[in-house]
Amino acid sequence: MSKIIGAVEIGTSKAKALIGEVGESESLNVVGMASRPNEGMRKGEIVDFRKAAAAVHSALEDAEKMSGTTVDEVYLAQTGSHLKGQMLRGAASVASSDSRVDVSDIQRAADEAKRRQPDQGRTYVHHVRTPILLDGRIVQDPVGMIGSKIDLGYWSIDGEDQAIKQALHVISNYSLEVKDLILSSIASSTMMAGPDLRRAGTLVIDMGAGVTDFALYRQGFVVCTGVVPVGGDHVTGDLSMGLRVLEPYAEKLKLEHGKAIPDPMDEGEDVWIIGNKTIGDRAIPRKAITDVIHVRIVELFEIISKELEGLLDPDELKGGILLTGGASLLPGVEQIAGKVLGFSARRASFTSGIAPELAQPENATVLGLLHYGLEDNSLPGRKKEETEGGFIGKFRKMVGLGAQI
Amino acid sequence: MTKKKKTKQDSVSGSWKTLAPKSSRRPASKAAFRKRLLGAGKFLILIAVLTGVGGVFWFFQNRSQSDLGPIDLTGPGAPVSSLSFNSDGVLHKRWFANWFGPLRGRSLMELDIEKIQSELVKEPQISFARVSRKFPATLKIELRERKPVLRICLRSKSKGEQTWLVSNDGSLYTGTCYSNASISHLPFLNIKSHLLKRNSAGDGYQKLEGIPAVAPLLELARSEYPGFYQNWQIVSYQRPYDDDPGAHIHIKSAKVRSLRFSPRNYDAQLRRLKYLLYEPDFRRTKVVDSIDLSHEQSVFAKLTPS
Repeated sequence: MSKIIGAVEIGTSKAKALIGEVGESESLNVVGMASRPNEGMRKGEIVDFRKAAAAVHSALEDAEKMSGTTVDEVYLAQTGSHLKGQMLRGAASVASSDSRVDVSDIQRAADEAKRRQPDQGRTYVHHVRTPILLDGRIVQDPVGMIGSKIDLGYWSIDGEDQAIKQALHVISNYSLEVKDLILSSIASSTMMAGPDLRRAGTLVIDMGAGVTDFALYRQGFVVCTGVVPVGGDHVTGDLSMGLRVLEPYAEKLKLEHGKAIPDPMDEGEDVWIIGNKTIGDRAIPRKAITDVIHVRIVELFEIISKELEGLLDPDELKGGILLTGGASLLPGVEQIAGKVLGFSARRASFTSGIAPELAQPENATVLGLLHYGLEDNSLPGRKKEETEGGFIGKFRKMVGLGAQI
Repeated sequence: MTKKKKTKQDSVSGSWKTLAPKSSRRPASKAAFRKRLLGAGKFLILIAVLTGVGGVFWFFQNRSQSDLGPIDLTGPGAPVSSLSFNSDGVLHKRWFANWFGPLRGRSLMELDIEKIQSELVKEPQISFARVSRKFPATLKIELRERKPVLRICLRSKSKGEQTWLVSNDGSLYTGTCYSNASISHLPFLNIKSHLLKRNSAGDGYQKLEGIPAVAPLLELARSEYPGFYQNWQIVSYQRPYDDDPGAHIHIKSAKVRSLRFSPRNYDAQLRRLKYLLYEPDFRRTKVVDSIDLSHEQSVFAKLTPS
């Protein structure tokens, strides 16, 4: 029997909702998708609840109409400069007399790792597991192996309570429950970087409108994530201020004539702001547009480089840098990323089997939410937790039986 | 069915799930309002459907409990408009109407003809009954009655003295619809009281033994020798079986005070009686004291001295 799952990304420029149908063979079929302009966000955080809610709810309603079904739970993407990541580590001795590792040993190590409480007013959003070490050796599944000590780590991301509550309220206000919060950068990485790339080591940079998320992978596991409060909207703002044009025209100039890297061919070429040469319209050197964009994009990658200082090891980053997100469509972005970060960078491409209208860089996060939700990220020896759906599941929740959130 | 357990992850560290709102605020958008309206509508429809299903179940359960009889596949049918009544005795249509009750308004298919038939046969005067439907609206009754050959006066504490009729098979019944003329000529039976036995219901008597042997004599006399028969007044018998050498039937009549027959060859005995009574001596005698016809070769007669 197929299962319906939903994903929501409350982006700075757009709210996106996606509904997928999971078949018996765990194959995902996207049956509904909608996006709506979102005026309630700034730099990845909700600043106007009603506007943000209206955008998200409209997108969800349209997606439900398109799919002809309804969802009860959604995966929600989390981003924003308030999110901070840290590595938590835990260890446990193997308890059994024959030194064989049991599921309970791994669980104790996991509990030990997660024991550290976040600061006051902050809450953990996402725990991403790092490799399990059995007596210092990396193992995939230590259950049943002989050893004495289990080491386990989590890259744990915490955020401000208020910002998280706002996002949760947007969803609950539409009579839905949040099945899980997933970091936007991890969702994008799941979609754009396959398991092989993650094992080889890769840096995925999702350039959104308000923020830029990044996730660094080594040996298939997350090493570091981050959110830089700079995105495509900042480029637009820079153009608006630097060229003294209104923001809509600045956005138009960015999309139609913007380049991230100076091009000698643009020397002496002028572009018209409005384009109809009426009163108020004026010509601007194309080089000036490129220069403004270049400065901001270089700055963005320099910030990322600074945040990843010491982690960018050429031996551990054989997969290079993958760029995704709407702002990554700017021509020349990949050259700047490669130049600033010192690794080969390229624009990420979607795997085959995704409809062309969906396979757009700005959809990487919302598509990745569904794929990450389908993956089994539980500890070895533990089954993936499944909530009961359908009428019986709803009834059990209503009367307080079974699932406790 | 997987029951989601509270994981240690939730309990160990501050999870975002603790921040999830317990209840939704009022809808923040038109889309949310429509969603809640749709949800409420679905809930109401569910309640209505459940109520409907429950109602239908209740209706059929009630109906099945109140109607425990056989399922009528034929429908009520037309009301009985006529009665076809046929009997070989004295019972008539009016008697049946009184016995059964009003037929008006009752449909032919509603009548339980098997029961009517069995109840009719229980009547002591009736030996055989057949009840049938004659469509479209006629109830047909066919009866065969017992024929009385004797009568007997019996006295009971509750009903006093009553005249009972004795049929040719020995049954005793009080008799219905008989005219006085039809039963006044029947001779009386005189038997010893120990031969009368109450039936199991206590409202009548068991069949009398011996009557089937006596009845042919009475019927033959009534049909062939009515001149003799009309004077026969009291009949009694002892062991009236033809294999019993001492068996005899004793009749008191006006002309002959004591007539004795053996239960064999009634025709020959009656012919001898006729012959005897036409003898000049007997014709001159008003009352004969006794005639014994029970001997095969001889007749013993005793004339009353004048």
